[in-house]
Amino acid sequence: MEREAIIRCRALTRSYRKGETVITPLDGMDLDVPEGDFLALMGPSGSGKTTLLNLVAGIDRPTSGSLRIAGVELAEVPPAKLAAFRAEHIGYIFQLYNLVPVLTAYENVELPLLLRRELSRRERHARVAAALGLVGLADRHDHFPRQLSGGQEQRVAIARAIVPDPKIIVADEPTGDLDRASAGAVMELLGRLNRELGKTIVMVTHDPRTAGHARRVLHLDKGRLVREDQHDHEPALAGEGMAR
Amino acid sequence: MIGPRHMPLVLKQVWRQRTRSLLTVLGVAVAMFLFASVQAMDRGVTRATSATRADTVLVVYRENRYCPFSSRLPEHYLQRIARLPGVASVVPMKIVVNNCRASLDVITFRGVPAEGFRQYARAMTFLDGSFEKFEARGDAAVIGEALARRRGFRVGDGFDAAGITVNVAGIIRSDEPQDENVAYVHLGFLQRANERNQEGIVTQFNVRVTDAALLPQVARAIDEEFQDDQDPTHTRTEKAFVEAAARDVVEIVRFTRWLGWGCLAAVLALVGNAIVLSVQDRVKEHAIMQTLGFGRGLLARLIVAEGLVLGLIGGSLGTAGACALLWLRPVSFSTEGINLTVSAPPGLLAAGVVGSAVLGALAGLVPAWQASRREIAACFRAV
Repeated sequence: MEREAIIRCRALTRSYRKGETVITPLDGMDLDVPEGDFLALMGPSGSGKTTLLNLVAGIDRPTSGSLRIAGVELAEVPPAKLAAFRAEHIGYIFQLYNLVPVLTAYENVELPLLLRRELSRRERHARVAAALGLVGLADRHDHFPRQLSGGQEQRVAIARAIVPDPKIIVADEPTGDLDRASAGAVMELLGRLNRELGKTIVMVTHDPRTAGHARRVLHLDKGRLVREDQHDHEPALAGEGMAR
Repeated sequence: MIGPRHMPLVLKQVWRQRTRSLLTVLGVAVAMFLFASVQAMDRGVTRATSATRADTVLVVYRENRYCPFSSRLPEHYLQRIARLPGVASVVPMKIVVNNCRASLDVITFRGVPAEGFRQYARAMTFLDGSFEKFEARGDAAVIGEALARRRGFRVGDGFDAAGITVNVAGIIRSDEPQDENVAYVHLGFLQRANERNQEGIVTQFNVRVTDAALLPQVARAIDEEFQDDQDPTHTRTEKAFVEAAARDVVEIVRFTRWLGWGCLAAVLALVGNAIVLSVQDRVKEHAIMQTLGFGRGLLARLIVAEGLVLGLIGGSLGTAGACALLWLRPVSFSTEGINLTVSAPPGLLAAGVVGSAVLGALAGLVPAWQASRREIAACFRAV
């Protein structure tokens, strides 16, 4: 039986004005991403990969078309509630990790949990410890980002993305700034999150090796979908969150 | 505003740019120190010049004289004043100061008859020494608490000022601001202490009336009583007398209120500048936090809280410093024998702390609003 699409785009378009020119990085995209899927977006610079990722992550708004995330039409979510929507449904992994430099690994991972009033300090601690354990950095909890290697920083960023237990993880070139060994470790981790915890992953990458970890690879060009490749990976078990 | 769980985040952001934060806190502390000092000076003037329902004292001075050196009245006026209706008691007083100009460290001698002083001093509390010790010695002096602390005098100490040598017989606390910086001595002793014998001559009479409502008519009656004498009088309430005698100092102190407002503006500018710079440094970081789910309101409140913390720390240090200094080393402006004591009013510390925290928060409002209005995607594109 076909799984329900957790991400559903119809004629999704994003354009903005730059001086006198109207730029349309995403032009009428149709896309269904079932829950538990692992999707890689590839294409040349300016093809609309990051724009699509930002729209899915709810940090940008479509100009036209429909974008439903977890059954919610994003255009109908008031701006004031969009942050709460992101906090609940989306985990974002950046290319350059983007950890807060004055916070330790533990505090960086704890950041999204500070938004959850219902969590006690003890509960937050348990979740952060679990997330750091999952990425193999339990012994680095009191290290600041400057004291970690690039691969370790990215793993902290992954722990930060998964700690609120979102259904969707979006990753913008998560291995783009890493050496091959660290990149392999990060992709192995994302694969586990997809397979073992059922996270839906949407990832932008330029690297075919990294894209090889995904089940589906979408090739974009000039804001449109031009090709789709399928890889024969084990499908994820949808809905197996880490905090259940 | 924000939960306790967010406070470590706020404090880490404040501590992030240590030099900038320390300089800001230092600037706020200096500004609030000045503000608190101005408030204390203003309070001293207000206390010394604001009439209250409890005020029942009139000061009888020589007409058209404005300085204790030039106001000379015959001591025998005492009996004629005492006979007037509404007069409860009269104390003749000779005043000698060691410095006639406006100064921060003037010693004012008030010569009073021992028997009159006992009645006059009923509202005073002896912190050390006693009235009996005062009566026992001709050169005894009972000094105000502020003068004792300023000069470090204790009971039994001798000191010399204006060529007059006295021995401290008591240290008093009084609700009357004028008592805090004076040295009460025997009238006869002070009259004879001058190189020119001034026995029978006093500077003024302090007249207590039976009812505050009678102050104007008793003052009028006294002046009418002596209007045809060789030494006519001008009688005013004690507070009005102080305000007139120390007019120049009062005006200067009241002008300093503007300096106080300037200090508050400086706090606003200092904290505002620090927060603006901090927010500009963290455009990307704020975009990341919003991506993680931090709402615009929460982000704004976190930034406002940073301003509040800077204001609170600086304001607490500055205000507490001013209060401590005034307590350890009391200051009073003295001119023409009138004392305007600079003292920290009750609640100044709390007002300074709360006020500076509020100013800090206000200073953070605009940068917080600006930071919270930025589009996330635009921030990522911009950095």
